[in-house]
Amino acid sequence: MSQAPGGSNVAGEEPVAETVVETEEATVTENAELERTIGLSGGLAIGVGTMIGAGIFVFPGLAAGNAGPAAAASFGIGMVVALLVALPASELATAMPKSGGGYYFISRGLGTLAGAVVGLSLWFGLVFATAFYLVGFGYYAVDALALVGLAVGQGWVIPVALLFGAGFTVLNVTGTENAAKLQNGVVALLLSILVVFLGFGVLDALGVVGQSSAPEQFAPNGYFPVLTTAALVFTSYLGFAQVATVAGEMKDPGRNLPLAMVGSVLLVGVLYVATIFVATSAFGAERLATEGETAMVAVGRDLLGPAGAFAIVFVGLLATMSSANASILSTSRAIYAVSKDALLPKRASRINLKYGTPHVALGMAGGPILALAATGRVEILAEVASFLHLVMYGLICIALVALRRDEPEWYDPDFRVPGYPVVPILGALASFALLVFMQPLSRYVGAAIMVASAGWYFYYARDVTLKGAL
Amino acid sequence: MTRVLVPVAVLEGESVAAGLMDLLGTMDVTVLGYHVLPEQTPPDQAREQYEERAVSALDDLAEEFRAAGGDADSRLVFTQDREKSIDRVADEVDASAYAITGATGDVDSLLVPVSGDVAVERVVDFVAELVGDRAIDVTLFLASEADDAGDRLAAAADRLRTDGVAVATELVASDRPFDALVDAVPGHDAIVMGEAAPSLSSFLLGDEAERLASATVGPVLVVRNERDEEGDGD
Repeated sequence: MSQAPGGSNVAGEEPVAETVVETEEATVTENAELERTIGLSGGLAIGVGTMIGAGIFVFPGLAAGNAGPAAAASFGIGMVVALLVALPASELATAMPKSGGGYYFISRGLGTLAGAVVGLSLWFGLVFATAFYLVGFGYYAVDALALVGLAVGQGWVIPVALLFGAGFTVLNVTGTENAAKLQNGVVALLLSILVVFLGFGVLDALGVVGQSSAPEQFAPNGYFPVLTTAALVFTSYLGFAQVATVAGEMKDPGRNLPLAMVGSVLLVGVLYVATIFVATSAFGAERLATEGETAMVAVGRDLLGPAGAFAIVFVGLLATMSSANASILSTSRAIYAVSKDALLPKRASRINLKYGTPHVALGMAGGPILALAATGRVEILAEVASFLHLVMYGLICIALVALRRDEPEWYDPDFRVPGYPVVPILGALASFALLVFMQPLSRYVGAAIMVASAGWYFYYARDVTLKGAL
Repeated sequence: MTRVLVPVAVLEGESVAAGLMDLLGTMDVTVLGYHVLPEQTPPDQAREQYEERAVSALDDLAEEFRAAGGDADSRLVFTQDREKSIDRVADEVDASAYAITGATGDVDSLLVPVSGDVAVERVVDFVAELVGDRAIDVTLFLASEADDAGDRLAAAADRLRTDGVAVATELVASDRPFDALVDAVPGHDAIVMGEAAPSLSSFLLGDEAERLASATVGPVLVVRNERDEEGDGD
């Protein structure tokens, strides 16, 4: 039996708490059971599906422009940081297999203020990330139109992004019954096309097939840009935390959560590094940079001709779409977790009876997403998303240390971090260190959102206590 | 006593026909109230909003089942996968059969198909217990072109007769057993059938019992196969 959360917010609402029993197949409350329906493959699909869009299909051109071929190292750094966080997050997720993910761990480990700041800024972090994915999707859509002979020009990127953003939101409100199964299929298809493409690309780059490419200086701009690029491209690794937001719906969470989180980071990390290697080998970082957001299309054309370009455009559309859709869903779950704890009005998590969907939360995701996508600032959107997530990741690691030092009775994770306390401490340091390498504007926007979240907490929910409660 | 699971889409106003409640009077019943959610809605989120309503509806249903005869309890599940929830709860309460509710009046006659690879013995035992000493006619039905089909049908009928059940048999030579079965339904108030093993056609067309229920409108009781000790992975 754990201590219950307490207090109430300005509107007099209290955090919802109930004694529950977690089994492998269901969460059992006093009167009801909540079926756990997501398996390991579903969890991996959420992680990989959220991540794969950005790293492979939007960033290669931008990253190569900043860091040259060493951009591969930037992605490698991102993977290491993500792993250092994914391990502590896995431990916390198996100890608290509840919806809400990082917000939940931090509010229970570090208290309401930290929880409110993270919970609210996670909402915005996901909004920024989704807007970023949508703009990436817009670039691919314009390229796709160009391939079928409709050259409409870059002016259409934003309108297309907005159109699809609105479409995803409406689709999610009216219920997409089979989107999860579809998502699994899309991810499987993506992975298989990518593996073939990258396999061929790596052989080509090593000179086994085709003509060998000219050697190039690894880090033409020096090593500092490698770090700033790592900060920029960290958005490509945000998906693993989304696995934790569905922890309450995952079967056998003690096994599947760590496997899905760590597995998806490893899988996409290797693919990212291979992609950058192939892309920079194909025709050099400088030309890659001039191709911008859809540089991979040019790489595809260079390696396999028009068929290659077509394949990349097709897969790029799917990947950015799946990232955008997955993050819209995560956003509504983040809002739910926060409103359940009375940090936002309960109304935010209402479900509409007709479709059974959380229409308020989806609207609170969709509206700001469209506003941000309209700016079209790919790098800023990505960095602010990274910023807000990195703060959360750092705090997740600290929450783990805090919980382990003062272990509550209920704290009994199935998975324990190897190398404690070194791994979580390194994870926190690495997460916060990446913040330093971001553009000033991104840091200001990110910090402003966090300050506003804290302000909201002091106004609205100062009396709510969550620390140490399960 | 033998237990039957009665899944009911409780928040969609699904109810159980009085005829089916009476028919199950010889059995223990677990009413499984379920609510299926789209994947964008965490089950917990729906529970908070709807639990109270669902629980009170379920309590009423269980009460009616108790009034009809056997013992009855209820469970409430919020799920994104109806089949999985039904399977899990049926395992947990050790139910021998589950019901697909449908419209019916008083049940005076049962249609019991013994086609295909179903466990005929389990079905027959279940029917004998279900009917008990009530005046309910049973028609054993087999659509088959096999040579020994008649023997198989007669053996099953004999077993039921020793329990004092009024049995008729119907053998149809047909290579389309499902359609033949649907044709045989008129004149019967409910169907008791064995659970078919998962097959390509059930994957493509949906579960045979579900299809039968929607083709005939009436209730269908599906006798579950013996379960392995271990559930499947994933």
